[in-house]
Amino acid sequence: MSESQRPGGEPLDVVVVDDHLMFRTGVKASLDERVRVVGEADSVDTAISVIHELRPPVVLLDVHLPGGDGGGGAEVLRRCADLAGEVRFLALSVSDAAEDVVAVIRAGARGYVTKAISGPELSAAARRVAGGDAVFSPRLAGFVLDAFGAAADVATGDDELDRLSAREREVMRLIARGYSYREVAGELFISIKTVETHVSAVLRKLQLSSRHELTRWAAARRLL
Amino acid sequence: MLGGVAAGLAAHLGLPVAAVRLALVLLVPLGGAGVLLYVFWWVTVPSGDPRAAAEEARPAASSRLAPRLRQPGRRLPLTEIALGVLLLAAAGGLIAVRNGADLVGSWVLPALIVLGGLTLAWSQLDAVDREPGRPGGRTPVSVLRLLGGTALAGTGVFLLIGRDAPMEDLVRSALAALAVLVGAALVLAPWWLRLVRELSDERLARARASERADIAAHLHDSVLQTLALIRARAANADEVAKLARAQERELRSWLYDDRVTPGTSVAAELRDVVAEVEDHHGVPVEVVVVGDRTPDERTAGLLRATREALVNAVRHGRPPVSVYLEVGPGVVEVFVKDRGDGFDLDEVPDDRFGVRESIIGRMRRLGGDATVRARAGGTEVALRLPVEQEERTT
Repeated sequence: MSESQRPGGEPLDVVVVDDHLMFRTGVKASLDERVRVVGEADSVDTAISVIHELRPPVVLLDVHLPGGDGGGGAEVLRRCADLAGEVRFLALSVSDAAEDVVAVIRAGARGYVTKAISGPELSAAARRVAGGDAVFSPRLAGFVLDAFGAAADVATGDDELDRLSAREREVMRLIARGYSYREVAGELFISIKTVETHVSAVLRKLQLSSRHELTRWAAARRLL
Repeated sequence: MLGGVAAGLAAHLGLPVAAVRLALVLLVPLGGAGVLLYVFWWVTVPSGDPRAAAEEARPAASSRLAPRLRQPGRRLPLTEIALGVLLLAAAGGLIAVRNGADLVGSWVLPALIVLGGLTLAWSQLDAVDREPGRPGGRTPVSVLRLLGGTALAGTGVFLLIGRDAPMEDLVRSALAALAVLVGAALVLAPWWLRLVRELSDERLARARASERADIAAHLHDSVLQTLALIRARAANADEVAKLARAQERELRSWLYDDRVTPGTSVAAELRDVVAEVEDHHGVPVEVVVVGDRTPDERTAGLLRATREALVNAVRHGRPPVSVYLEVGPGVVEVFVKDRGDGFDLDEVPDDRFGVRESIIGRMRRLGGDATVRARAGGTEVALRLPVEQEERTT
């Protein structure tokens, strides 16, 4: 995976939010030297106060968190909405369930990775999020395709937010097939920057689309 | 139309809704039988399409265990509130009219008001059925409904009884009745509260007990057995890792996924295939699935070819290995990708005949095709199987 270069070589400050001490310790140990953990929190309420106090560029946020109103990571995102633009969130979860993923992404997370991710990959993902790009795991790309309909969209009269362009769908399919951003770029003969632009556009659609089917789809996944 | 009784009956009997409505209307002149039946069914028959409800209500044992994230935002039932306000306004207007001229000397209007009040109060029974998962059903709206209904019914009764009495008498007796009601409520309140609390405690305890039994059974069947196995084979690191991974996968699906009925999902069958390969070869495989359909013989063939491709990737490629299954309207596609050095199909030695015969040959016989692409980043096997479009797409 490529990563956006940060000038000056300053380490990236992150806050780790997870209710398991073991996991927080593991994350701290596995991150490389260019990512520095400056704060930790173990519940919705502590997370909100720590994030407001430290204002880190990136927060690694667990999806399932105790406390608050039971909204988990999505609730942290909603209650930190005033820091939008300043603090970016990368969602982490042990769960692969579509409704959990869609909930945090819709609440404003810039990406989603599972906790099985390796240290170097997590560090790269954190830097990517810090650079304003979106982090799509193959599974998240699969969810997007599932939610927006994998086949070419026939309803062209829809709002632009409710559809993926042919190119965006192609990028999503390649990511779902396990291609890295660099491999996607090579496959489609475009630059990595263009791939990142497409992915960010998809993330925006996922967050902003008023497509009622998206929510209905996430709920219907329970029936599958 | 009002409580959905006719529609419910029609769904139950398999008749058109219009016919049921017509029958009910025809029954009205027979001593109001239609109206009585309607009200009776409204109160007693559960709402909703029973078949849809049965599909939606998953047995607790097969739904995921981890709590679902709560979504914010609830819509206010504006139409119902508007109806209540309208009725109250009508009642107020009636009193005003009564103060002036005796326009409503008949019993019809007060009776209508009583009816309206009763409907409003009783309709919360209906609403409780429609909003499952809110135990007790004591939302602010239902309280409002009860209060509004009581006020309306009370007003109607007073108008009905005290048609000829002067206004002061009416007010005085209303106050007296209210005082008696409040007194009775105060006396009965502790008893009623205890009843409610006991009921909810009992309900909670029962739910908890069955949940505990379910969890205990599962922990015993799977986690405990795996832990015992791990202890027995502690010396063998590969074996332990394999056991731990298999257990993790099982526990994860138990916690976060809803169980599917066997034989209804290609996606679930693919996951089984992947799990088997993972267990057998000890290499993690990432699975992504888009869409789903009911399996048939041809998708079973596709999955066998997928299995061959997976085994090949796991054996000769480097991890991470990923599988992507996409069920489109007219085609099912599978991509198996690894990060190995790749191989040239023409240089494949005879002992690795598997690729050509069991993947490409199999796909051709099924009416699909398979391509193997090797490049610097790894090898990718793409399988395509054209299928007929399913009626029900999920």
